[in-house]
Amino acid sequence: MGVMRLGHVRLRVLDLEAALDHYTGVLGLLPVHRDPDGTAYLKGWDEWDFYSVILVEADEAGIDSFAFKVESEADLDRYREASLGHGVAVAECEAGEVPFCGRALAVTLPSGHLMHLYAEKRFHGKATGNLNPDPWPDGLKGAGGHWLDHVMIMCELDPARGINKVAENVAYFRDVLGFGLGEQVVAGPDGDVQAAAWMFCTTTPHDIAFGAGPRAGLHHVSFFLDDWSDVLRTADILAKRKVKVDVTPQRHGITRGSTTYFFDPSGNRNETFAGLGYLTQKDMPTITWTEENLWRGIFYHSGDVVGDFLGVYT
Amino acid sequence: MSGHSIVLAGVEHVFACSDEQNVLSALSAVHHRAIRSGCHGGGCGVCKVKVHEGQWRRGCMSRAHVSAEEEAEGIVLACRIWPESDLVIEAWGKLPARLARRAGLLPCEADT
Ligand code: FES
Repeated sequence: MGVMRLGHVRLRVLDLEAALDHYTGVLGLLPVHRDPDGTAYLKGWDEWDFYSVILVEADEAGIDSFAFKVESEADLDRYREASLGHGVAVAECEAGEVPFCGRALAVTLPSGHLMHLYAEKRFHGKATGNLNPDPWPDGLKGAGGHWLDHVMIMCELDPARGINKVAENVAYFRDVLGFGLGEQVVAGPDGDVQAAAWMFCTTTPHDIAFGAGPRAGLHHVSFFLDDWSDVLRTADILAKRKVKVDVTPQRHGITRGSTTYFFDPSGNRNETFAGLGYLTQKDMPTITWTEENLWRGIFYHSGDVVGDFLGVYT
Repeated sequence: MSGHSIVLAGVEHVFACSDEQNVLSALSAVHHRAIRSGCHGGGCGVCKVKVHEGQWRRGCMSRAHVSAEEEAEGIVLACRIWPESDLVIEAWGKLPARLARRAGLLPCEADT
């Protein structure tokens, strides 16, 4: 019982056709549906639910909402009560309000982000099927992303005013949703400011991450690839297609992922990463990074301070 | 393809920018520190400039960072404008790089 995985993200894009071309041609997601207003739904080939990315045209970039899939309707009831008990606003959504999903909860997180929890979504199936499957399907484009893996959101932090939405989100995900805290960054003169956190409901180091910034927003959405050579190949695709690259292939100390970062045509940051890191379980001790070692945690090889990696976001 | 010159206030170097190149890419080719380079998609808002002279074409840019009123005054995102003449521009707003000072994580109090 409980939260199973990140189900989808709903991204705001400035030009829908440019975004669709990017998410299909660069990331290799498969388009599954368009609403009459153009809103596009896509999935990774290795995912079985109907969609994991919604692209909606808007006059601002960023993340509109994201959603986690829970095991059962009973979980929704449980999380509804527990959220209210925790002082977090929850609204009920009828089946279909979250597209192609059953009844859902709309949770306004302490950081201000909108998150849905749902137990059912229309089934689609993996591109390789369920019966005697091949390891990968033919005809994949771009990076051929397997699945939407995690999302990192930016949360307001201003210790001088006593605001730490990272820590508040961590408490909610831990105490109400039962997530584990895989890794964290502690900062500030006394090392007591929780300035970033990586949390999991699966057995990988993160399904959601919280970073600190002056305002709430989206840091990145990340798609899973098999291995390092796929990350390098993605970087080749980025160069070929003149996509704005943010971080060339390298390794994170935090989560141990092999990674490359880039921007979609509206400026939303994407990541393709490989490697499942390490096994996480609820009893795993949290890994802590101190402020002086933060950049080694982010860019393991160089340890370079790249303020824009944290300061540029939608 | 025709070339235009971009003058960035407070910077001696004159930048060359073709009409097929967005203004930010012309400036960031030499990694000029007077202007920040971010997402190059009109979404993050770090490359905000005010155009004092010249004509340009615009692409989509996020209203979270440039209001319609600002745009009417020539305040735009450098990554989403293409020159149609020589331009004189100025970096606009505080450089949020300062927000990421120190460990690059905690917002700097002096800036808020
Ligand atoms: S660099 Fe992000 S809006 Fe221009």
